[in-house]
Amino acid sequence: MIATVRPDSWNLPLFLHILGATVLFGGVATVVVLSLAARRIPMQAPLAHRLALTTLLAVVWPAYVLMYAGALWIASREDLHPSFPTWMVFGVSVADAGVVVLLVLTLLAWLARRRARAGAFAAGLSAVYLVALGVAWWAMTTKPGA
Amino acid sequence: MTRYDWLLFFHVTGAFLFLGGVVVAWVLGIAAALRQRPSEIAFLMRLTGAAAGAIGLGMGLTIVFGLWLVFDLDAYELWDGWVIAALVMWVLSGALGGAGGKRDKETRLLAQRLAAETDVPSGELAARVRGPIPLALNVSSSLLGFAILAVMIWKPGAGG
Repeated sequence: MIATVRPDSWNLPLFLHILGATVLFGGVATVVVLSLAARRIPMQAPLAHRLALTTLLAVVWPAYVLMYAGALWIASREDLHPSFPTWMVFGVSVADAGVVVLLVLTLLAWLARRRARAGAFAAGLSAVYLVALGVAWWAMTTKPGA
Repeated sequence: MTRYDWLLFFHVTGAFLFLGGVVVAWVLGIAAALRQRPSEIAFLMRLTGAAAGAIGLGMGLTIVFGLWLVFDLDAYELWDGWVIAALVMWVLSGALGGAGGKRDKETRLLAQRLAAETDVPSGELAARVRGPIPLALNVSSSLLGFAILAVMIWKPGAGG
């Protein structure tokens, strides 16, 4: 029960980490909703694709940075090196892979403004990333192997 | 995994759905407020339905599994100050968000009606979609949601 034994000095980095993670989740969910809506209602596709790209740049990326910075801050206080516990490997993997996923997603969202197929890939990739974020918070809360 | 692990997982899942849904609603709401054509406003406001569903489900999960955790763990009591504060904020957030959502629904219906008629920009619709009252209701509800997150982490007044 880490919540009951966590030092007070971990609270701020933990808050920033979870704040970033929830906004990241919401931002990616917005991209999923907009990408799917663009496919279902082609008349509004230009607006939906433009807004999906704006969401990635203005919400998702800043939230990712906040989530990652909070994670690094709290990890620096936990003295977990040289080997990460299993639950942290899940989180670190999703967080690190997130850079590549978000770069590809941003590229797809930019391309989707002109090519409908890119929009379909963006919808699929953002949905997969949403599931990966769910796996990460499962690992972070249940701490398998701890 | 222990029962505590599962309870905490579903509680945290609820928090992610609740706060993530708030983010979705804000992005779509701000985008709608920046548009002029009723069809575009109606399109964006219709999508906020997904956010409202996530917020409702998330709030339900947080309260059910949050209370379950309180009753299950010896470390926490229902009358702990931080638990009471979180419960009060949860109720207020739901009430304010519900009132804001009701106004947003009326705005969406107006946008849909105008879109079906002429689909030209309307002063009445612009005033509603950018109105200060729904904005105040939604901002208050959202801030309370994130304040609950802070209370959950700092647990002011809790021992240990």
